Amino acid sequence: MKSTLLKMSKICKSYPGVKAVDDVSIDLFSGEVLGLMGENGAGKSTLIKMLSGAEIMDSGEIYINEEKVNINSPKSAQDCGVSVIYQELITMDTLSVAENIFVGQLPINKTTKLIDWKTAEKKSSDVLSLLNSKINPKSIVGTLSIYEKQIVEVAKAIHKNAKVLIMDEPTAALSEKDSKSLFEVIDKLKSQGVGIIYISHRIEEVFNITDRVSVMRDGMFIGTKTTKSAKKKEIISMMIGRELNQFFPEIKSEKKGIALKVSGLNIDGIIEDINFEVQRGEIVGLFGLVGSGCLNIARSIVGVDSIDQGDIDIDGRKVSIKDPKSSMKNKIGFIPIDRKHEGLTLDFSVKQNLSLQSLEQLGSGFIINDSIENSIAKKWVEKLEIKTPNIDVQVKNLSGGNQQKIVLGKTLETNPEILVVVEPTRGVDVGAKMDIYKMLESLCHQGVAIILVSTDVPEILSISHRVLVVSTGKIRKEFKKGEANQQDLLYEASLS
Amino acid sequence: MKSIGFKLSTTSSLFIFLGFLIAVFSITSEHFLSPYNITSLLTNISYSGIAAIVLTLIIISRGLDISVGGVIGLTTVVVATLYSQNDPLPTWLILIIGLGTGAIVGFINGWCITALDMDPIITTLGAMAITRGLAYVISDSQSILMFEDTTDYISNGTIFYIPIPIIIFILTVIIFSVLLHKSKFGRSIYAIGANELSAEFSGIAIKSKKMILYILSGVAASISGIILLGQTSVGMPQHGLGTELEVITAVLLGGAALSGGKGTIYGTVAGVLILGVLFNGLTISGVRYVHLQIFQGILLLVAVATYEIKTRNEVAR
Repeated sequence: MKSTLLKMSKICKSYPGVKAVDDVSIDLFSGEVLGLMGENGAGKSTLIKMLSGAEIMDSGEIYINEEKVNINSPKSAQDCGVSVIYQELITMDTLSVAENIFVGQLPINKTTKLIDWKTAEKKSSDVLSLLNSKINPKSIVGTLSIYEKQIVEVAKAIHKNAKVLIMDEPTAALSEKDSKSLFEVIDKLKSQGVGIIYISHRIEEVFNITDRVSVMRDGMFIGTKTTKSAKKKEIISMMIGRELNQFFPEIKSEKKGIALKVSGLNIDGIIEDINFEVQRGEIVGLFGLVGSGCLNIARSIVGVDSIDQGDIDIDGRKVSIKDPKSSMKNKIGFIPIDRKHEGLTLDFSVKQNLSLQSLEQLGSGFIINDSIENSIAKKWVEKLEIKTPNIDVQVKNLSGGNQQKIVLGKTLETNPEILVVVEPTRGVDVGAKMDIYKMLESLCHQGVAIILVSTDVPEILSISHRVLVVSTGKIRKEFKKGEANQQDLLYEASLS
Repeated sequence: MKSIGFKLSTTSSLFIFLGFLIAVFSITSEHFLSPYNITSLLTNISYSGIAAIVLTLIIISRGLDISVGGVIGLTTVVVATLYSQNDPLPTWLILIIGLGTGAIVGFINGWCITALDMDPIITTLGAMAITRGLAYVISDSQSILMFEDTTDYISNGTIFYIPIPIIIFILTVIIFSVLLHKSKFGRSIYAIGANELSAEFSGIAIKSKKMILYILSGVAASISGIILLGQTSVGMPQHGLGTELEVITAVLLGGAALSGGKGTIYGTVAGVLILGVLFNGLTISGVRYVHLQIFQGILLLVAVATYEIKTRNEVAR
């Protein structure tokens, strides 16, 4: 008989300027797998962080087994029986399996007061065999496979008597075989009465493994459907249902010859046999879910990730791109995914960031010519409408949208002929978004070839002239502009 | 908020503190402000100050060089040994070999850190041990007396009444403050220290820049060694023991942080002066040498703690 194991009621959480979770109520029965789906930015991660104690809610209540609980730290969450298996595993790789499972609570021999390794190892083996695993508890976790590490984390959760287990994109890094093993483990946990919240973008998987599916969108709870009777397209509609109340400029493509051609690109275990071309004056979108390989394709073109096999041709000639500097020499520009850690130097000022990729241009000798630097800075502040009190403030004080514009300005100062842009409007307000799209449009007119990697479905559909859908390391399908709608894109991307 | 490279408040506080120290010592000792003492003080400052100026750039780039003292000892031994040969090489060649000693150590450090991606602390720690050991081996643990004009001149000679080591120090300060604060190279050093990944993505050649810094650091240490050789007239494997601590203290006192991206030449100059004045003043006042180490350690901890608290307050805002 299924009882209400977990009830999250009217949960609210806001960050400056954005309502991440808006009055969300969700329930979970014991012995069930509840899928939690939603696009990037829908609020799933924030909701889960409040359940696991990583964040504190602004308002709302959590009930476990119909008793109200106060979760305000990871420890209090664990004490209530809530455990999380994060996508980026948090195993302590230099310690053994038993030490990870028993972290902080290694059994002590009452007489000698020393650690009772025998008990630790025996109990670890017991838990592991519950999970169909024969991992040696003495093994150092760093030597295990990703699947085995996940099992160690599940074992740790079981050992801490987890009643609610949250799994965040558990199969993102697993092979098919390991995924199947994981599903068997999940079945076992279900039979023990554990309730599992399963977060995944992979719709096939969610339909395979879950009993019910809850959908979030724009911070709000949309609805829950019983998996058996639900339809995939229906769930996707719930996920993306918002109005296209954002205006995307109509960017005409002015194809003027092939700028970049990628053939047989291969990074072992990550991307396989990638072939495509981009023309001057064209925007090609690369769309894929987390772990699909889209990001790796982009990074290999700009020399950040190294290629195992394959060729890159620019204007018909084969080029060798082994680091960011050589990609710049080939007139390739790059807007990285993480502006704070990869695109900007936060302690530097606006003008110092804008000039960082063009230091050679700041005067003919060794000395930096201040007036050239100032004029470059003023030029981009104006062109991109960067909102800043002056060009000497540190960029860490600017908003996300303005920071992103600075990354754009820094790259554009080098006059790239090919531009690889990753998530250009992530965390960017509506006004700045428009400015960035306008700049992309202008670049298109000037004949720049643009590769756009984005998980923002409306964005990539509206801005790109063609979209290549990438899944599990391969290009699965190409859609020309207008050939696909949002559902098609998400559907293709979730197939494996 | 001002951009990096010009922490006005920090540097002026340091110089105010320096002024305070000078005032105190000139009261407690009548000899403190004598021309002889001032010259001696400034010359001693120049000895370690040259290495400190170059180390500033390394620390700003988020690196470290602990091998300074070892290179000093090795250089004095190498140069003194070459001079005491029966038919010694020409002076200019010997001096070049002396500078080359530091350059080679710096190159090896740089290579381990850039090509092998080794940790700078571990690398230069190893270099410290190896150079010190080589110094003992080459000199057979003996001191090597030297009566030689050129190194004597370098250390004790004057140009317009200013001792040459001080002139070398002033030149080093001028060259490196232009290099660090005004040049493209200096900007890229700050970028590497503040965020190496962003710097790399912006096309900055990280490895070659770091290599240059470590070679310069080695050469600076050798220059310090040659000055010390001239001052003491003896090459000893023990020369430079403890200098690495003194130099790092001066740089951190001046506002540079081990986490990189922060620091100025002026700050390091202030740090070097404060340490020099403190040691000199205390010595004149009768404090024994062994106690000076304690003061140095306390000053280092207080300075770093102060900067840490200051940074934390800035972030909390």
